[in-house]
Amino acid sequence: MIILLAVTEATAIVCGATFGKLSDGIFNGLAFLGNMYPPDWSAFPEMLEPALQSIIIAFLGTVFGTIISVVFALLAANNLANPWVRNITRVFIAIERSIPEIIILILLVAAFGLGAMPGVVALSIGCIGMLGKLLADIIEEIDPLMIEAIESVGGNKIQVIIFGVLPQIMPNLISYALFRFEINIRLSVLLGAVGAGGVGYELEYSFGMLQYHRAFTAVIIIIAMVFGTERLSYFLRKKVKTEGALT
Amino acid sequence: MIEVKNLTKSLPNGRKLLDGISFKVKKGEFVGILGPSGAGKTLTLRCLNGLLKPDSGSVIIKSENSQPLDICKIDKRELRRVRQKIGVIFQGYHLVKRLSALENVMIGRLGQISTWRSMFYGFTDAEAEEALKALDQVKMSQMAGMQTGSLSGGEMQRVSIARAIFQSPTLLLADEPISNLDPSNAKTIMKMIKPLSELMPVVGVFHQPEMTAKYCTRVIAIKEGKLIYDGDPKLSNKRLEEIYGEELELIEQQEHMIPVTAK
Repeated sequence: MIILLAVTEATAIVCGATFGKLSDGIFNGLAFLGNMYPPDWSAFPEMLEPALQSIIIAFLGTVFGTIISVVFALLAANNLANPWVRNITRVFIAIERSIPEIIILILLVAAFGLGAMPGVVALSIGCIGMLGKLLADIIEEIDPLMIEAIESVGGNKIQVIIFGVLPQIMPNLISYALFRFEINIRLSVLLGAVGAGGVGYELEYSFGMLQYHRAFTAVIIIIAMVFGTERLSYFLRKKVKTEGALT
Repeated sequence: MIEVKNLTKSLPNGRKLLDGISFKVKKGEFVGILGPSGAGKTLTLRCLNGLLKPDSGSVIIKSENSQPLDICKIDKRELRRVRQKIGVIFQGYHLVKRLSALENVMIGRLGQISTWRSMFYGFTDAEAEEALKALDQVKMSQMAGMQTGSLSGGEMQRVSIARAIFQSPTLLLADEPISNLDPSNAKTIMKMIKPLSELMPVVGVFHQPEMTAKYCTRVIAIKEGKLIYDGDPKLSNKRLEEIYGEELELIEQQEHMIPVTAK
């Protein structure tokens, strides 16, 4: 415990994260927020479309990312894939997980230009690291009797997956996908500020033009988006947990 | 007909799990495999549809319309084709619990439909109708739409029998189909399996000699990987002792066979 405290203190001093600076920062931050208040409500209607765009980017990124992640998960599960394929896929998933989505977006913007598409692709790729690993672990724990049942009637690998694997992992798949959607909403705002468009771009633009009241409006919209998504996701995940499905 | 010749399977340390098992089963026969736990009964059964590959030996399936095939020597594609016509009833039912009884029955013909069709759960109305008839045969048609996870053990086993019937198999295998059931349900299941032997060879693994005595046409006994008996299903006390290694007797009371008890 003493060592932990000592290391914490030493590293704080090295990077300048002192209590003095923290308290100064809090006061300056509050003062800055005070300058941003009140929000510019006249900008509210024109921000709705960018907000919807951010939600769509997050939604599409989640849908495509989940589909791609399922494929990777099947290749990374030791009860379905041969050891070589499994190991290579797991390494790929681990590498992908270590690359922040913002780096992926910067590369995609260089390739495709600014806009929503690189944002969707970045979020889709970003799903692989999290969903690919979680789903692969779930697949490895499924009841092997289901796989045997399909094999015993002459089913091939694809049929084993559709009838023996997917029905078993579906509640977890939906639950994880909804959780990833929550994360992607926040990420789409962040990626918007660096070129993917949406309400994140509006926020970045407002700060850049020193229009702090307008920026505050964007912040309120972002908070509402993120909170609303989290509540919806929580409700749907609870439904999946108790009923095993969304319908 | 199915002909098993000299099946052998050993562990890496050399211990023999199956030691030269040989027998034949033809249409009209309902053969029960008995033996103590760990004798190799289920291993033998799993060799019959290629779920387990023996170290040596052959499992030859001879049907009226095709050439004899040795399951132990064919490739995976051919094995899948052969399995389309081998119905299997498992102890653990092997049903997809999130799917309905009807969908589970239709899974019996997965090997017979294209991958593309199965990707979209593309079973035809005619197939659904046939599956419903199979469920009707096992008195489960009224529960066709229910998720199998909500059914009792006896009901799930009836669905798995319906799945096997729906396959229109030329061979039926049953791996301890009544082990998880109460005596009444066990009797019901045996009464459903018995008539199927008129259409195809039926081979089942059992732990209940009183059931095989009543329903099977022949019994084979496996002990320590070796086949030690092949003959009349009504076993004498001496024969039971030889198989199970302790003195047992079959007790019959009216219509019911109560479980074997040790003296």
